[in-house]
Amino acid sequence: MDSIFRDFAAAHNPATITDGRSPGYVLASTISPEPPEDEPARFYNFLQATDPSSILTDLKYKLQYNPHVQLEKKEAAAWMEVFTVFYKFVSFLVTAEEAQNSGRAKEADWSSVYDSWKDVSNALYKGYQSTVFAAWTIPCIYVAGKYLRVFAIKADENIASQRDSGLAFGGIQEEDAFNPDSKNEKLEDAARQINRIFGLCISDRNPIDESRKWALYYTANLLFKTYFRLNSIALSKNIMRSLRASAHDMPALYQFPKAHRVTFHYYTGVIYFLEEDYATAEENLTAAYELCLSPNVGGGATRKNLELILTYLIPTKLLTSHKLPSAALLSQYPRLASLFQPITTSIRTANLSAFTAAMEAGEEEFVKRRIYLTLERGRDIILRNLFRKVYLAGGFESVKDKDGNEEMARRTRIPVKEFAAALVMAGAEVGDGNGEGGVDGDEVECLIANAIYKNLMKGYIARERGIVVLSKAGAFPGTGV
Amino acid sequence: MSGASTGSTATTKATVSDSKDTTKPLQPQKAAQLEEDDEFEDFPVEDWAKEEEVGAQQGGTTTTTHLWEESWDDDDTTDDFSVQLKEELKKMEGQKK
Repeated sequence: MDSIFRDFAAAHNPATITDGRSPGYVLASTISPEPPEDEPARFYNFLQATDPSSILTDLKYKLQYNPHVQLEKKEAAAWMEVFTVFYKFVSFLVTAEEAQNSGRAKEADWSSVYDSWKDVSNALYKGYQSTVFAAWTIPCIYVAGKYLRVFAIKADENIASQRDSGLAFGGIQEEDAFNPDSKNEKLEDAARQINRIFGLCISDRNPIDESRKWALYYTANLLFKTYFRLNSIALSKNIMRSLRASAHDMPALYQFPKAHRVTFHYYTGVIYFLEEDYATAEENLTAAYELCLSPNVGGGATRKNLELILTYLIPTKLLTSHKLPSAALLSQYPRLASLFQPITTSIRTANLSAFTAAMEAGEEEFVKRRIYLTLERGRDIILRNLFRKVYLAGGFESVKDKDGNEEMARRTRIPVKEFAAALVMAGAEVGDGNGEGGVDGDEVECLIANAIYKNLMKGYIARERGIVVLSKAGAFPGTGV
Repeated sequence: MSGASTGSTATTKATVSDSKDTTKPLQPQKAAQLEEDDEFEDFPVEDWAKEEEVGAQQGGTTTTTHLWEESWDDDDTTDDFSVQLKEELKKMEGQKK
């Protein structure tokens, strides 16, 4: 108990902080559900130092009559409330963790942990709502929101496992188990709580220097994370809309800490990606990538974040600029290499059957990450690359320019048959179904017409003569020929 | 689709799938764990210097040039596929004459 209030006092007397942390973070550490590294037994000590009958008196001495902490009366009262519910929370947490650690995971009562943490969060909320807590304390909001999510997820998992094993609620839960609404009961509640916190921050009318608006991106990120997990990604749009609507009276994004910015760019990038707004997705994902902490400094968690960013940036780049990740990029991320290398190679070598095989092999993973359909459009690029190879293989012929002078130019009249031959070689399914290696000419023309329609190739099909007439200038836009 | 025998098969089937159900709950849990793997992690620090950014460490503006490549092999017509393609086209030329 002493250490908690020693830190609490330090936060209110910044000059006494010796480890370089900002006062807000020191303060937030006093209500963090994770004990500090140098004091793993903090919560046991807290529970032992007092008991439910004397907690109020003890807290009074720590908060109201403490010579090291000069708080306004209202502020002291607000903290009294926070630490009273925090004490209850700690006893639930310690009990649940004990059950968890002694192999009785199913008995761990994470629901009560969640509910009591919600009380802590609400007590803080009230403190902010009545403008008793100043803006420098907002790391407390981060802690409140972060662990609402964490404990809600644990509680839902716990409820689900009890239900599965029939431990709880008897037989009547049979129907409920099939009700998808009840699966994430606590997490849905957490989303509502965090949304309230978001509202609390966005409605702050204090001058920017003393505003809770500095907590907005952190809170928005928590909501994105929660909505993604709940599979209600569309709700994220409301948050993005609110942020845009108050953009004029909040600090610019670049003024926020990079951890908040990178996460925000990642989630908005993915949201735009899922909406197939690839240009905006690329902007955000590129920003997230460039701005991200280097894994040389940040370690494993940071490397994983970069992998996630690239998981969406790679299909996006493929679509927006027909670019592929280089070997240099993939070699840094073995997991991404195994995910994307087969696709990348098949596109570069214009090998349709290898592409189909790679899509099939990776299907489950691609679908799970919601990138399957975007990657599938890589097929168009293979066809473009394939037709381009036919064009290049045609070589040069001598033509007369408009003044009648002879010059060498690439052959632009190419028989449909040559495209058909290339398609067959690349493993395209253009057979005529007779099983004798014949080719369905209509199918071939269809693929060519599609490529022309999608502006991957410029020209037209002269059907009666069975040739494709390609544009003399830039037949394959953006590829140098 | 008539007769008592069909009915009894259906019941057996139902029982079989029921007994399977007891093993199934493991799967959703597994899926949930995978989702967790997908989650963006908290950074170990809240802010960092410009030179600690990925973009800066990989050489700033040149990043895009060596990390991303065009999806085709320039004007290379000596790769296996192109060589084979040329042979194939030559063959076709021959058949025509």
